[in-house]
Amino acid sequence: MKSAVNCKIIEILNLSDNQLIKLSRNNVLSLSIEEMREIQKYFEKLKINPTDIEIETIAQAWSEHCKHKTLTGIIEYTEYADVQTKRTYNNLLKETIFKATVELNKKWCLSVFKDNAGVIEFDSKNGVAFKVETHNHPSALEPYGGSATGIGGAIRDILGVGLGAKPLANTDVFCFGDPNTKAYKIPEGMHHPKRIAKSVVSGVRDYGNRMGIPTVNGAVYFDDGYMANPLVYCGTMGIIPKNKIEKKVNSEDLILVVGGRTGRDGIHGATFSSIQLDQESDVSAVQIGNPIIEKKVLDAMLKARDLNLYRAVTDCGAGGLSSAVGELGEKTGVVVYLDKVPLKYSGLSPWEIWISEAQERMVFVVPPKNKNRIVEIFEKENVEAVFIGKFTRDKKLTLKYNNDVIASMDMEFLHNGVPKPTRYAVYKIKEEKLQKPVKMSVGEISKALKALLSDLNICSKEWIIRQYDHEVQGQTVVKPLQGNNIGISGPGDAAVIFPYTVIKGTKKGIVLSNGLNPQYGKINTYKMAASVIEESLRNAAAVGADIEKVAVLDNFCWGNPNKPEILGSLVRAANACYDMSKAFDIPFISGKDSLNNEYSIGGKKYSIPPALLISAVGVIEDVSKTVTMPLKNKDNKIFLIGITRNELGGSVFAKINNIKDGVVPDVYPKESKDIMKKIYRAINKNLIESCHDCSEGGFAVAVSEMAFAAGKGVVINTDAVKTEDVSMSPAEILFSESNGRFIVEVKHKNEFKFQEIFKGAVFAEVGYVGDNENIVFESKKNKIKVKENAENLLKIWQSTLNW
Amino acid sequence: MFKIEILMKKGYKNSHGEHILSDICGIGIKNITKVEYSPLYVIDGDISSVETETIAAELLSDKITETYTVNSCSQTNCGQSLPSKPAINNSMNCIVEVWYKKGVTDTVSGSVVKAVKDLGISKKIEVKTGHKYYLHGKISQTILNKIVIKLLANTLIQEYKIK
Amino acid sequence: MKKVKVLILRTAGTNCDYETQAAFELCGGFVERIHINALIEKKDKIFEYDILACPGGFSYGDDIASGKILSNEVKNKLGDKVKKFALSGKPIIGICNGFQVFVKMGLLPDPNIFEQISTLSYNDSDKFECRWVYLKTEKRINGESNCIWTKKLPDIVSLPVAHGEGKFIPNDKKLLDALNKNNQIVFRYTSKDGGKPEYPLNPNGSVEQIAAVSNIKGNVFGLMPHPERYVFTLQHPAREGFDSEYGWGKVIFQNAVDFVK
Repeated sequence: MKSAVNCKIIEILNLSDNQLIKLSRNNVLSLSIEEMREIQKYFEKLKINPTDIEIETIAQAWSEHCKHKTLTGIIEYTEYADVQTKRTYNNLLKETIFKATVELNKKWCLSVFKDNAGVIEFDSKNGVAFKVETHNHPSALEPYGGSATGIGGAIRDILGVGLGAKPLANTDVFCFGDPNTKAYKIPEGMHHPKRIAKSVVSGVRDYGNRMGIPTVNGAVYFDDGYMANPLVYCGTMGIIPKNKIEKKVNSEDLILVVGGRTGRDGIHGATFSSIQLDQESDVSAVQIGNPIIEKKVLDAMLKARDLNLYRAVTDCGAGGLSSAVGELGEKTGVVVYLDKVPLKYSGLSPWEIWISEAQERMVFVVPPKNKNRIVEIFEKENVEAVFIGKFTRDKKLTLKYNNDVIASMDMEFLHNGVPKPTRYAVYKIKEEKLQKPVKMSVGEISKALKALLSDLNICSKEWIIRQYDHEVQGQTVVKPLQGNNIGISGPGDAAVIFPYTVIKGTKKGIVLSNGLNPQYGKINTYKMAASVIEESLRNAAAVGADIEKVAVLDNFCWGNPNKPEILGSLVRAANACYDMSKAFDIPFISGKDSLNNEYSIGGKKYSIPPALLISAVGVIEDVSKTVTMPLKNKDNKIFLIGITRNELGGSVFAKINNIKDGVVPDVYPKESKDIMKKIYRAINKNLIESCHDCSEGGFAVAVSEMAFAAGKGVVINTDAVKTEDVSMSPAEILFSESNGRFIVEVKHKNEFKFQEIFKGAVFAEVGYVGDNENIVFESKKNKIKVKENAENLLKIWQSTLNW
Repeated sequence: MFKIEILMKKGYKNSHGEHILSDICGIGIKNITKVEYSPLYVIDGDISSVETETIAAELLSDKITETYTVNSCSQTNCGQSLPSKPAINNSMNCIVEVWYKKGVTDTVSGSVVKAVKDLGISKKIEVKTGHKYYLHGKISQTILNKIVIKLLANTLIQEYKIK
Repeated sequence: MKKVKVLILRTAGTNCDYETQAAFELCGGFVERIHINALIEKKDKIFEYDILACPGGFSYGDDIASGKILSNEVKNKLGDKVKKFALSGKPIIGICNGFQVFVKMGLLPDPNIFEQISTLSYNDSDKFECRWVYLKTEKRINGESNCIWTKKLPDIVSLPVAHGEGKFIPNDKKLLDALNKNNQIVFRYTSKDGGKPEYPLNPNGSVEQIAAVSNIKGNVFGLMPHPERYVFTLQHPAREGFDSEYGWGKVIFQNAVDFVK
C-alpha cells in the first residue's frame, strides 16, 4: 500500500481535459493532453490516484529530453517543389539517420545510438567514444553555470558509456547574438550577447580546464537569431577498452550513487528544456557545477572499472536519479530507498530527491559481493559513495522513503507507455537564383577580403581558444590554432589527439572536426545539412584523416516543432543526413536534438535559425603523417583541388555585401569523396606540405589564412582556378563558398607523384609561396591585381574578437 | 561569526579589478575610473578570533601580495558590514558586495572547510564566499544598478548589496 | 644501473600526472602516482623514492588561490618529510600547479627557510592562457645551468604554458638580488632572438620575466611551463625538436633520471 506521509496524493482520476492541462502546467510537467489522458487511464485501471513522485517520474521519463518524442513520433510531411509530395514517417530518426547507419553496417562501429555515446574501433583492444550534447536553456539564464554544467554533462556521458571511458578531449560550439548589439535592443530580462558569450566561455574554461581535458575543437557562430536563445554544444571524446563496452544489470545487484550530493539544483531541468524561454523561466532549473568532484569520480571509477567491481554505470543527467536508475532497471525492476540519498541540505521532498539534477553524480550497478571493495576505492579518494537500493525481478519501479512505499509503477508503462503524437510538417523548396554578376575593382576586392577576415564568423577565435587548456594531457598534436602558436596563428581545420599516455606504444591518433552553417539553413536546410556533413569530413581530411574511418554525430537545434514549416525544415535536414551518410559511406553513431528553441519578446514568439551541428570523429593510422595549414616554404607550389562553382547564396560575402540572390553551395558526394580519398593518399605519402579547406569566405580567405599563419606571402593566379561556369568574375571565384575544395602546398620535387594521385579529379596549380610577406591575387584576364601584407591581414583577422 | 576581506597590498596590480573596469567601459559607461576587487569570506562556528586571524593569514591571503581584515559580525549585518578601516575613503565611491543566494551551491566553501582542518583547526565551521567591488568615480544610482546587474551579479543565483 | 623510482604526488584536481609519468618513463624512470591520502597514511614511504614530482592541474579546484590548499595540506601534514627529501639533494620538480604549491609552502626558493617568501600571482591579463613561449636558459656557471634539471639545453628553448596565476613575485629586492646572485633563476621568458619580451611573450607579467626557479643547490626545481607536453617533436607547433623524434622537454626529465643513476 502506498503511504501519503512523505508525499502528496495527486487527484487525477476525476479530472476533465481542462483540469488535466492545468495540472500539467502548474506542476511544470510539460505533458500534452494526450499524455495526461494516458496517465489517467493507467491509474484508472489501478483504481487509485498517483502520488506526486509517481507523476513526476512519468513526466521525466516521457519528457522530450529523455524520449525525443518529436523525432521518434509520427510525422505527416508534405513537400512543395514543382510537384507536391507527401510522406508519413512513423519514426523520423529510425527512417533516416539511424537507417543509414543500419544499412552501412560498419564492423568498426562498436556501439551506436544505444548508450550514452557512440563508440568506434580505435585498435584491436580499444574503442573511441564520442558524444556531443546541448545545454541551451540553462545557458540563456545563467550562462556561466549553464555552460559549465553543459560540458560537465558531456564528460559524464563519456564516463557513463559502457563501463566508463577515459576522456581525452572536449569540443565546444556556440551560437550567440551579435556581441556588438546596442544595450537598449536587448529584450527585457535577457543578458547581453557579449555577457552571454563571455560567461559561456568562462564556464567551459573553468570546468574543462579543471577536469584536465583539453578543449581542442569548436566553432562560434554569431547571428541575431540567437540573441535570447544562445546555443551551447559541448562534446567529449574518450577512450575505452573494447571489453568494457557492454553494460549488464542482474537482479539483486545493488545501486550505488557516487559523487556529488543531491540538492534542489535543476529540478525540472528535463521538462524545462522543452519549454520556451520567457522572463519568468524557472529559477530552480539552474545547476551549479563542481568539476573537482567530477575529477575525483573519474580518477576513482577508472580504478574500480579495471578491477571489474561493477557491471554497469550511467550518469545522472536530465531527470536525475529517476532517469538514470529508471533506465538501468528497465528490464529487471528496481527498489530505491530515497532516504539514503546523501543530501546537500535537509528539507527536500522525496520527489525532489528523485528528480533533482544536481551535478557530478553517477550511478553504478554493483554485484553484492563487491560491496565493500568498491566503496573503499571511492572513500580513499574522498568520494562519497552510498548504496540506495537494488535491482529486483518484478519489473516494477518501487520507491520507498522511511519504509513507506511512495511509488509503485510498471516499468513497461514508464518506458513504453507514452503515446505517439502525430505532427504535421511542410516544406516549400525555395527557388535559388544566380545573383547579378559581381564586378569588383581591386580596391573593392581588397575591402571585401578585409571585411571577411574581420567578420565575426570568420575572424580569429584566439581569445576563446587560449583560455582553454587545449594541450593538457600532452596529446594534442594537431592544435586548434596553428602557426608558431605565440604571435602568429591560423585556424586549424581539425584537431588530432595522439593518445600515447593511455595506449603505450601506439602510433595512431584520433581526429575531431565539425561542420555548422545556420546561414545556409535560412535558405535551404537540405543543403545546410549536406554542406555541414561534407564540411566536417573535409576538415578531417585536411589534416590527413582517412574518411573511410570517420563517423559522425548529429545535433539538431531547432525551433518549435508544432509549427509545420519548422518541423518540415527539420525533416528536410534529416533526409539530407540519410542521403549524405549513404553517399559518403559515413555512419552516424550518436546524436541528440534540442527542440523548442523559441523565445518571446513583447508577447511575440520567435524560433531560432535552425542549426545542425555535425561532429566528426575518426582514427588516424599514423599521427606523424598529419599536416597543418600554415604554408611551409617559399617557392612551393599551390594547388586548388575541386571545382569552384558560382555559389554565393548564404555566403559571408553575400551577407556583407547585401547580395540577396545566389545559389547555396551544394554537395557533390561522388566528386568530393574521391578528392578526400586522394588527399589522404597524398598526405600519407608525405606529398603535401600544408593543407587547408575552403569554407566561409571561400578561396581568398583560406589562402590568406595559410599565408598569415606562417608569416609568409603567396602569389595566386585566379585565372587558373577551375570553375564550372567560365564567366565567373574574379570576386565570385575568390569568395564563392563551393564545398569540396582544398588548397594544398606541394614541393617541386613531389609534383609529379602528386599529380599522379590526383588524376581524374578536378584540380589546378594556382600559385606559389612567395619570398616576401605579400599576399597577391592576380587575374591577367580581368587586369586585376590585389596585393596585401600578410601581417596586416593577420592583425585584421585577430582584432575583431579581442575582449 | 567572522567576516574576512582579502585586500591587494599597495603596489601590486589588482588584475581582476582592472578587468572589471574594462568590462564597465565595454558596456559604454565612462565615469568609473578605477575598480578594486576583494574576495570575501564569512566563517561561522565555534571559532575564536585568534583562529580566524590564523585562517586569514595562513590560508585565505597571500603573504606577499595580499593583506586582510577580520571583523566579527552577526547573522544580520554580516552581508552588509564594511571593514572598520575602509581601504578607500572618498564620497564618490561605492562598494558592492555580491553573495550567493541561499540554497545555491557554493563550491569554494567546501574547499575552505577542508583547508581549515588541514591547518589543525578541527572545530566545525561553515563558510560562505562573496565578492566585493570598490568602484571609484561619480555615477548615478541607475548606472550603478546597471553595472551590478549587467556585470557583477547574476540575480538569478546571487544577491548584492550596495553601499 | 640503478632503478630510478619516481613519486608523482596527486590529489583531487591533479591533471597532468599521466603525461608527467609518461615523460619520466620515456627516460627510464619507474613511476608511481600516489594519492596524498595514501602518503599521509605512510609518511616515510616518500624516502623509498629517488625523485619527487608535483605535477600540474587544479589541486582542489585552485579554490582560494592556485595551489594554496594543497600547499597548506602538504606543509601541515608532510612538511618535515618533504623538507628532508629536498635537503638530501634528491631531485624535486614542481610543474605549473606544482610550482605554485612549492612556492606557497616555501619549498622554493629556499627549502632551508621553508617559509613563503615569493608568490605566483594572477596574470596581468587576468585570464588563463594556453600558448607556447620562448625561454632563455640561464647559464652562468661555466656555460651551464646551475639546476640539475636543465643541463644540456640550448640557450633558447620553446615550451607551452597554460595558467592563470603565473606571475612570479619575490618578497623584496633583496631576495630578487639573491636569486640572481645564486643562479637560482633557471628560465626567463624571452623573445625569439633572446630580447626582452612583451606580452604575450611574457604571458603573465612576471618580475624580471622569471619563468622557473630552483634552490641554491639546484635539485629543487619549479617552473610554470610544461616540459612534459614537449617530449616528442610531434607536440611542437612546427614539429621541431632536438632530434627527429624527441622534444626538448624530454631532456629535463632525462637530466633528473641520469642524475640519480
